[in-house]
Amino acid sequence: MSSGSPPIDPARLDRNWRAISIELDAPRPSPMERMLRLVGFPSRMTRLVVATPALRRSWFLSTGLAGFLSLLTTGATDPREQLFGLLLVAPLVPVIGVAMAYGIDADPAHETAVATPMRGIRLLLTRAVVVVTFSSFCMALASIITPNLSAMAFAWLLPSLGLTTTTIAAMTSLRPRHAAVATSTVWVIGVLSARAGSSDPLAAFTSAGQFVMALVAVAGLLVTVARRNKLDLLPVRS
Amino acid sequence: MTLHQLVDSQASPAQVLAFGVTQRFGKVAALTGVDLAIQGGLITLLGPNGSGKTTLIRCLATVTWPEGGSILIDGLDARHESDRIEIRRRLGYLPQEPGLAKRARVFDVVDYLAVLKLHGDERRRRHLVYDALDRVGLADRATDKVGDLSGGMRQRLGLAQAILGSPSLLLLDEPAAGLDPDERFRLREIVSGRRHQATVIVSTHLTGEAAVSDTVLVLLEGKLRFVGSPAALAATATGRAWLQEHEPATARAWWRQADGRYRCLGDPPAGSQLVEPTLEDGYLLLTPRTVASPAAAAIPRPPRH
Repeated sequence: MSSGSPPIDPARLDRNWRAISIELDAPRPSPMERMLRLVGFPSRMTRLVVATPALRRSWFLSTGLAGFLSLLTTGATDPREQLFGLLLVAPLVPVIGVAMAYGIDADPAHETAVATPMRGIRLLLTRAVVVVTFSSFCMALASIITPNLSAMAFAWLLPSLGLTTTTIAAMTSLRPRHAAVATSTVWVIGVLSARAGSSDPLAAFTSAGQFVMALVAVAGLLVTVARRNKLDLLPVRS
Repeated sequence: MTLHQLVDSQASPAQVLAFGVTQRFGKVAALTGVDLAIQGGLITLLGPNGSGKTTLIRCLATVTWPEGGSILIDGLDARHESDRIEIRRRLGYLPQEPGLAKRARVFDVVDYLAVLKLHGDERRRRHLVYDALDRVGLADRATDKVGDLSGGMRQRLGLAQAILGSPSLLLLDEPAAGLDPDERFRLREIVSGRRHQATVIVSTHLTGEAAVSDTVLVLLEGKLRFVGSPAALAATATGRAWLQEHEPATARAWWRQADGRYRCLGDPPAGSQLVEPTLEDGYLLLTPRTVASPAAAAIPRPPRH
């Protein structure tokens, strides 16, 4: 047995120093990322959210549109007309947000992202959940400040979900922006038609209308899952 | 065992097989019946702009599915969902436009890709990111903004994303485009260093980039016209490259050298002074006459007197 000190493996020492220096040198997460982690989002999800400039744009858009709608509703004289304006436009906020958060037009790193093992559908739905959660929060604030607050002020919630899932389903065939325009157009025409055919400006948002939008939401989700492979590819001629 | 060795020991070069790969965009045939069988080494995909290089790279990267034929990576077919995910686990891909967010930090850009590559554990991710940044010489710029990097550094950052986790198939689409000679050399060194751990396919229209590769693939008008070593490509021009004092009348291509003589390619007139052919000679002679004009136009033409 040797009486000297045990030999030190230089490779192992190197490795240990390296591990220490990485822990010390790694940059701290940004304030927004830290805030999201604080409210319980896992680090991999916050990274997906914060590292995407497109997603930040859709956040700002949601906030801006919610603020604009608040002003719009407080400016009208008839309370039901005020509500109609809010309910017509509010479901479009997450639709635009989702279209701006995914795809080759919105995300400059889209091609790199598509070639990774994270499925397109998983990435898209992760971002959609973030966008819908954030925009719903903003719209809820806008709803709360409507005059004569009632449950009807939140009747945009199911239509939001229905339009968002429909847009995502359409994104399996169309570019995100085109999908958003198509869905929004159908929505606006549908709501205006319902209004023209009834004396109640909120005819489209009754229980029957809500039920239809719930069905649309489920159908949109089913179509998305069935056609999820399309989200793993670049659009033709991109 | 260092982290580098640990990661590298898990990688073995991917086998890439392509059978009759065909892709059309409207009436334009981007790829026509491309057959390929490669494993390991540095492979240069050479061809002029619009020859189908990007389309082939995208097909191999599984982000586009060919209309006809099939591609197997390690026996896996990207058309099947589970195979596709497995291929992408083994894949490192640098597209022509990596789309790096200028306001993001260098570390965050690579870490974002680590998340997309399903490395969930934050601590392991940190090590993988620093490992990749280290390999491309950007570890000390980890906290800098992407916008503060030079063009060459950004390209190396894109490469760091691609080599993250030591993939067994590395696809790089025109990585050297627009780089100065120094940066091109650095990039070549990094890419070249991966050839033993991965099958590395690099597309380029610069013949000089192909000289260091193990295999050259020449893609012209969507068809694979040559597969072989750089020396074999040069050898295809044996007896078809010559020097002469005056502007040639019949050569396929020619240019004036610094010494004032004309280097000519084609069928040499009797008694011509034949010279040792280069890889570029072989490539230019493969180029069909119909697409030779733009390629030949890039060659310095003799001044008109």
